[in-house]
Amino acid sequence: MNSLKGFYRDYEPTILGTAFILLTLLLWQMIPLVMTLSKGMALFFTTPAQIVRTFFDLIEQGELQKHFYVSAVEFIVGLGLSIVVGLPLGIIVGRSPVLNALFDPFITAFNATPRLVFLPLILLWLGIGIWSKIVIVFIGALFPLLINTYEGVRNVDRVLVNVVRSFGANEWQIMKLVVLPNSLPYVVTGLRLAIGRAILGVVVGEFFGASEGLGFMIAMAAGSYLVDVVFVGVTLFMGISLILTMSVKMIESRLSRWRPEDVKTF
Amino acid sequence: MVKLNEVYQSYQRFVLGTASVIGFILLWQLLLTYIIPFNSFFITKPSLIAVAAKDLVSSGKLWHDLAVSSKAFVWGFTAAVLIGIPFGLVMGWRRRVEYALDPFLTALYASPLVALAPLLIVVFGVGLTGKAVLVFLLAVFPFIFNVFAGVKSTELLLINVVRSFGGKEKDLYFKVILPSTLPYIVAGARIAIGRGIVGIIVGEFYAASEGIGYSIALYGDTYRLPEMFVGIMLLMILAVLLTSGMRKLELTLAPWKVGQEGR
Repeated sequence: MNSLKGFYRDYEPTILGTAFILLTLLLWQMIPLVMTLSKGMALFFTTPAQIVRTFFDLIEQGELQKHFYVSAVEFIVGLGLSIVVGLPLGIIVGRSPVLNALFDPFITAFNATPRLVFLPLILLWLGIGIWSKIVIVFIGALFPLLINTYEGVRNVDRVLVNVVRSFGANEWQIMKLVVLPNSLPYVVTGLRLAIGRAILGVVVGEFFGASEGLGFMIAMAAGSYLVDVVFVGVTLFMGISLILTMSVKMIESRLSRWRPEDVKTF
Repeated sequence: MVKLNEVYQSYQRFVLGTASVIGFILLWQLLLTYIIPFNSFFITKPSLIAVAAKDLVSSGKLWHDLAVSSKAFVWGFTAAVLIGIPFGLVMGWRRRVEYALDPFLTALYASPLVALAPLLIVVFGVGLTGKAVLVFLLAVFPFIFNVFAGVKSTELLLINVVRSFGGKEKDLYFKVILPSTLPYIVAGARIAIGRGIVGIIVGEFYAASEGIGYSIALYGDTYRLPEMFVGIMLLMILAVLLTSGMRKLELTLAPWKVGQEGR
């Protein structure tokens, strides 16, 4: 009995956290057993067990894989492009005060505005093919990466830069020896935020202008009252975002163990 | 001449920034007027946007759209404040509540809840309610987690002082925890504004009959690009004003807490 208590004390956070999630799912599952839903409500209702069943059905039909593949391509290409563009641009803007002043109004304005407002314009330009989604993912993910890289570069210790310079390093060597290692934790933070924005771009882009992809699947299912299919899609998006953000968070906390714990922001 | 140089030095950022914005607009206008063949189904120019803006403002259409969207935003945002702050307070103050709720809420915060938009619209309809619920869902988590972090950072000494002088649980909340959490609430509000705007836009893109997001999508579908750009720019201006206002407030309330991530 005592060891059980000790076990509970050691793992209290995990036990309580898991218990709460399980309890929520159980209560959700039991709602139709406890009360009868009106016809209108029943149309919009589904249970966790039903969602799991639909998940396996969709896999068996090959539906899910097909949509997942399209969404994954959009995500990876869009995010990849934003890394390729965002990191160098962030470093340049961070190192040059003049370029910084020139770009700042645009970066601030675009960062404050949800880039999703450009979706109708992008659809107009690129149509409903895969490229419009890649571009919306790209502009969504670009700014967190750009801004965090730039903050990292700007927060470089001046003393270190001066020391390296005194020993005769050129701009490229300063970059390699001081600037890049110092801004790495910031870049990883930017990457975590960018992943969230990229997934947002995939979801919303596919809602409005697509003929394939998980977002498209969700929108179609909602239109035809297939609530269980909607939840399969939503759960899948949740799972993917969680896995990706958590793994980047792990890298982040390894890289910035020395930085004070900050507020959780996704 | 020396004077002018000094003025330039101290306002360099401002001068360069303004110059680059004006230069961008001029370049845009000139390129499309003289160099690139102009196709009104594909692109527009600043002069046409200005005309469209004048029309939309004088006809009152712009304000009407803005009012419709703001209403849903304010409802959802208010609900997020009223529910998010108490949740964050209790979660930060009660250890067991934290253990129970943290994984669940973190998972929800990290996931793209926008994916629920089609379902919410189908369930709550295309009017005010669906959009407000979406805004609430997106905006509540920054409040919960920022307040939570704020409570965690409360000075233990202050709590002990209140306790020693016979303060009750209620006094702790209202005299110590809430005030020291205030800067965090403002930081949460800044993040929540951005997410709330996402909610409004997505809700109105998806299904609506009026509102700023609806107008942008409609103008896009009907190739009225100048009007669409007016809508986009209005949203940009609002977003910049709101976020920078919140940032100012944050700096006034807690000058020591600058440069928070995730802006």
